[in-house]
Amino acid sequence: MRPLQQPLSLSASLNGYASFFVRCMKASFAYRATVITNLATTAIFYAITIMVWRQVYSQNSNLTISSSQMFIYLLLAGCGNYALGGMVVEFRIGNRIRTGLIATDLLKPVDFQISQGIQALSDGLFNGSLSIVVFLLGFCVFKEQMFPASLQALGLSILSFLLGLVVMYGIGFVFVQGAFYTYSGYGIFAARNALQGTFSGVFAPLSFYPPVLKTVAEWLPYRHTIYTPISIYMGWAKDNDAYSLILQQAAWAVGLLLLGRFLMKYALKQLEIQGG
Amino acid sequence: METALHVENLAKSYKRRIRKPGLLGAFQSMFSAKTEELKAVKGISFSIKRGERVGLIGENGAGKSTTLKMLTGIIVPTSGNLEVLGVVPWKERRKLALNIGVVFGQRPQLLWDIPVQETFRLLKAMYHIPDEVYQITYKEAVRRLGLEPLLRTPVRLLSLGQRMRCDLAAALLHAPAVAFLDEPTIGLDLTVKEQVREYIRDMQKQFGTTLLITTHDLKDITEVCDRLLLLDKGTLLFDGSLKAFEKRFANESRIVAELHQPATPASIKKLSAEIKRHGGRVAISDGHRLILEYRKEGAAPALTQILLKRYKVADLTLEKTDIETIVTKIYRKPIADKMKP
Repeated sequence: MRPLQQPLSLSASLNGYASFFVRCMKASFAYRATVITNLATTAIFYAITIMVWRQVYSQNSNLTISSSQMFIYLLLAGCGNYALGGMVVEFRIGNRIRTGLIATDLLKPVDFQISQGIQALSDGLFNGSLSIVVFLLGFCVFKEQMFPASLQALGLSILSFLLGLVVMYGIGFVFVQGAFYTYSGYGIFAARNALQGTFSGVFAPLSFYPPVLKTVAEWLPYRHTIYTPISIYMGWAKDNDAYSLILQQAAWAVGLLLLGRFLMKYALKQLEIQGG
Repeated sequence: METALHVENLAKSYKRRIRKPGLLGAFQSMFSAKTEELKAVKGISFSIKRGERVGLIGENGAGKSTTLKMLTGIIVPTSGNLEVLGVVPWKERRKLALNIGVVFGQRPQLLWDIPVQETFRLLKAMYHIPDEVYQITYKEAVRRLGLEPLLRTPVRLLSLGQRMRCDLAAALLHAPAVAFLDEPTIGLDLTVKEQVREYIRDMQKQFGTTLLITTHDLKDITEVCDRLLLLDKGTLLFDGSLKAFEKRFANESRIVAELHQPATPASIKKLSAEIKRHGGRVAISDGHRLILEYRKEGAAPALTQILLKRYKVADLTLEKTDIETIVTKIYRKPIADKMKP
């Protein structure tokens, strides 16, 4: 009879998570047609957004941001949004709750929140790497205007982008706890998506928002997924302001992950794996 | 022998929303909070020692899968106590997960979009399986379950039977101390079912795995297990060895005769009256086929003689009731009579 396996050491656990990350990345390549369709749809959507802003600029020259700065912002926002859009945390986990496949996740000797986070991070990074193509195309159009404000801005904006992915996962994980009660992640996904679209700054910089909406956006975590990394990249937030934003992002990330963990503890107690 | 599982007064109830029929009913149900309580498991108790091979059977909705889900820690019991390998499953799910293997026949644990071998490699890292164990379990699974041609195929392209074989291999890859197998032969053809049973038996022997198998195919039980738990509507009706089960319920034998000429109703009536004295009865009369059932030991020669005297018999066989027939009969009985032999 084999002796019982003792709890895994930290290095053994990390090895397991790393192996899972590699498999998630491999799985991302499985649906080429979906990847191409998503890219094409996103490109069309942003072409329309840019056309609308061109029209706005042609009629109003007193805007606080120059038209080229605005188009660069929208391009970066599009890239960021495409990366975040791949994460679909509520949809993925919600679907596993609805079909009962969550049972197979819970039977693994790994932390559910961490393993789902790895899945989401892998999805986000996969989509993010595809966005780099669009980002590089931006250099052909806007040339030196596309450069980051400084090398420090580049480094901090990359860190901020990565923290943005964690914040996005944290938001998704908190929202999807509702699926343990509703048994569907779709409505939850739609609600989160609407809030994300409104308050992240994906359609326009938050400085263009009416005061009330801007205040609401500042109290919510969504702006840290899109607006914060871009404002650091473009030099709108510098030095202490940039560090302060990154600290806020980190605080949101930790807070949301802890809240998600707390909520899940209770949600799991009333989980029903439906059917035999 | 050490106890692997201990279950005491285990119960689980669900709340179900009451939905009205029809389209209008479905709409009205959206605004109604009416629920009903469904008692899936009603206070069952049993213990399983390490290395035991136990079958858990019961009709659909008997509470088998719910019991298994509680034992693996993915759902929390409404009341009662349970311990698996000294751990309360739902409280220390991850700790327990290292030492159990689970197959949920209808929910594969394989990664859907990538080749099967990727899941195996992931599980090796995730469970931290020592090389010497992995060499045995992986090679055995590939050889015995015929997985070689499937290893490089994405899981979504596999048939149900192929997926089941891979899923079983994945569940036993870390040579778990306890394996919970929920319908491990679902969707398999007869030859592969046999292969799977042999593989489970041999793995159990090699690693001393405690097995708890739920199934609707009783051959899984008779060929792999030596103890049976019978659940019915959430209640444990029987807990004992297969031999004890047969001894208790398989007290009816049958004589099956193929007749040259179909039996007439009048001749059946006369036959019934005559064999009644020897403790027999006509169970089935279907044209050329006649089946007599009897309980009295040693009644076979007399009943056979009567049969041969009255009819021209083309073929004759004596049958002892098998477990499948017994279980089917138990399922058909009203609840109060279920445990009567």
